[in-house]
Amino acid sequence: MKINYSDLEILTKLSSKQQMVELCQQAFLFRKKSPAHIPDTLVQSVTQMLGTSALDARQCIHTLSHLLKAAVFQGSTDPQAIFNLFPNGFHKNLRDLLTKTILDNMQAWKAEAIGGQVSLPKLLDFDWRVDTKTSSDAVARMSVPTCILNLEIQESQVNAQQTQGTENVNVELSKETLDTMLDGLGKIRDQLASVAHR
Amino acid sequence: MASTFHFTKETPPDSMFSDFQALNKFQNELFSQLVQFAFHFLLEPSKSARLMTQLEEFAQENSIGVGPLRNVFKSLVSLPNSALKKSLSPQQLQEDLQTLGLSEEKSQLVASQFEANLLTLSKGALSQTLMVNQLVDIEWKFGVTASSSELDKVGNTFLQLKLVINTGNGTKNVYLELTLPQFYSFLHEMEKAKASLEYLG
Repeated sequence: MKINYSDLEILTKLSSKQQMVELCQQAFLFRKKSPAHIPDTLVQSVTQMLGTSALDARQCIHTLSHLLKAAVFQGSTDPQAIFNLFPNGFHKNLRDLLTKTILDNMQAWKAEAIGGQVSLPKLLDFDWRVDTKTSSDAVARMSVPTCILNLEIQESQVNAQQTQGTENVNVELSKETLDTMLDGLGKIRDQLASVAHR
Repeated sequence: MASTFHFTKETPPDSMFSDFQALNKFQNELFSQLVQFAFHFLLEPSKSARLMTQLEEFAQENSIGVGPLRNVFKSLVSLPNSALKKSLSPQQLQEDLQTLGLSEEKSQLVASQFEANLLTLSKGALSQTLMVNQLVDIEWKFGVTASSSELDKVGNTFLQLKLVINTGNGTKNVYLELTLPQFYSFLHEMEKAKASLEYLG
């Protein structure tokens, strides 16, 4: 898909640098949406700022999103690399301003992209509790410690309009199971340490 | 019956007395064979089919009815079983057996078998204790994301876990992903839990 960045020249009508920064942040936020799904409120405010039609504003936001996505994908902090994204003869001052805005936000946007990348369900939070079992149907008197672990896991998103739900998983671990688990986790830690040393 | 028992507060049913009377009639060798069967069963309660064939063969070899033998055997199994529940000592078990009418020699045999197998038996009883959503297995994988559709170079470490949980009606697999800081905090918390378990156990 070839995107014509010359759509962006309309942005010269922005009255302040601050407006540019805010617009870029909004555009990055909706980078995964098609033009039709960009929220109307955003389109309206951009229409006012630029004094254009809603259609042009929508297209402009979409093009800007595409540019930011491309810049973040490259991930380069070298201004020259970002200059290369623009077509020849692009408005020079606008190019410099966009490049500066991109470089300023690069760290935050990269972190956001990592946080939002495809993954298995993510662990949100966990809690544990240690009990002693003192009696049961099999044995009248005993003293067996046991550990209950609650994991809060983020479910994968089903509906783009809704925020993801969470799933709560409770597991009971005996002392032996916990020992085995820690053994495995210890191995991971050792391996991570050896990777870090290299 | 005025005698008191260690394994129960109530007076056991008459059938139990007659069962042990019947057991007295076995020769010591045959009786010890029965005791072996009983303890095999107590150690591996899931293998009841094996017990049934053992009892049938035993009945055939010694020309006894299988039905009556089973009833008698039931009493022989139930006593060590309740002794285990009430955590009785082998001596207390022997006293109970004698009060029920079993000869001293035979009671001694059962009690010594009980003593020899006590550790394994109590471990088995403890493992049978109800566990809610028991963790059965855990598999893990960790790696570094090299690239994604959004970022050309990532270099982000992740850890993926698969937990197999016994829910009671089948097992359930739970998949989750942890970031590096989450992993360290998880490990730290689990070590705290372990320390706590060791303090209690």
